[in-house]
Amino acid sequence: MAKPVRVRLVLPRVARAELLASRAVEEAGQRIAFPRDTLAEVKLAVVEACLNALEYGAGDVEVEVVAHPNDARAWIEVAVVDHGPGFDPSGVVRPVLEDKLRSKRKRGWGLELIRRLMDEVEITSKPGLTKIRMIRRRGGE
Amino acid sequence: METFELKVAEQQGTLAVMEVAGYINNEGGEAIAREARKLLDAGQRTLLLDLKATRIINSIGISLLLEVLERTIEVQGALAFCCLTPSIAKTFQIMGLSQYTRIFPDRTSALAELSPTQ
Repeated sequence: MAKPVRVRLVLPRVARAELLASRAVEEAGQRIAFPRDTLAEVKLAVVEACLNALEYGAGDVEVEVVAHPNDARAWIEVAVVDHGPGFDPSGVVRPVLEDKLRSKRKRGWGLELIRRLMDEVEITSKPGLTKIRMIRRRGGE
Repeated sequence: METFELKVAEQQGTLAVMEVAGYINNEGGEAIAREARKLLDAGQRTLLLDLKATRIINSIGISLLLEVLERTIEVQGALAFCCLTPSIAKTFQIMGLSQYTRIFPDRTSALAELSPTQ
C-alpha cells in the first residue's frame, strides 16, 4: 500500500500566509488523486482554520497535512495548531445570515464553514495550545 | 489566479456586472465593497458579481460581501452571482446566501434574467 503523503509547515505571520497551507493541501491531495472539487472544499476549510490561528493565536502556527491514499476511501487529515490564549468551542455561536445582515458584525463564519465542509472536526483548546484537527474522506459530504 | 483583480465589465441601465478574479480576502472584499458602493451611489440597483476567475474566498471576504448585500437591500436593489466554482457555491449554500441573492450558472443566463431590457 502506498505511504501517506505528509507535509508540515510553520506559517509566517505575513499577508496571505493561509494560502501556503492551502497549497500544501492541494499538493498532497493531487498526489493521491483526491477529487478536485472535494479538495477545493478542504482548502477552504484549512484557510479558515489558519486565519483563526493567525488572528487569535500567538507564536508559531503549525500545519500538518496528511493525505492517505487508501484506494476508494482516500482521506485527507489536516491539523492546525496555535499557541494563543485558547477558546471554548462550545461557546461559539452558530452564525445565522438573517442576524448577520442586521448586525454590524458580519464575521464569525469560519468555524461553521470548517464544520460543514469537513467530515470530522475535533477542536481541543487550552491556554497555550489550540488544535483543530479535521478530516475529509473521498466521497464524504 | 490568486492575484486579485476587479473590473466593472458592463453596465446596462441599472445593472452593473463586476468581474472578480483571484482570492477574495479582506483586501479583495474591501475592493468589491468600495466599487459596489460607488455603483449603488451612482444609481445602479442590480449588481452581478461574475466569479469565473475566483477559486478561493475566505470568511472575511464573505463578510464584506454581506455588507454589499445589506447595502443593495437598503436601496431596494439586488445582488447576484454567476460562474461559482462548486466549492464557493457550497460555501454560499451553507451560509444561506441563496435566500437573499440570485445565483446563476453563467453570465449569459444571468443577463437574460437580470437585464432591464429583457
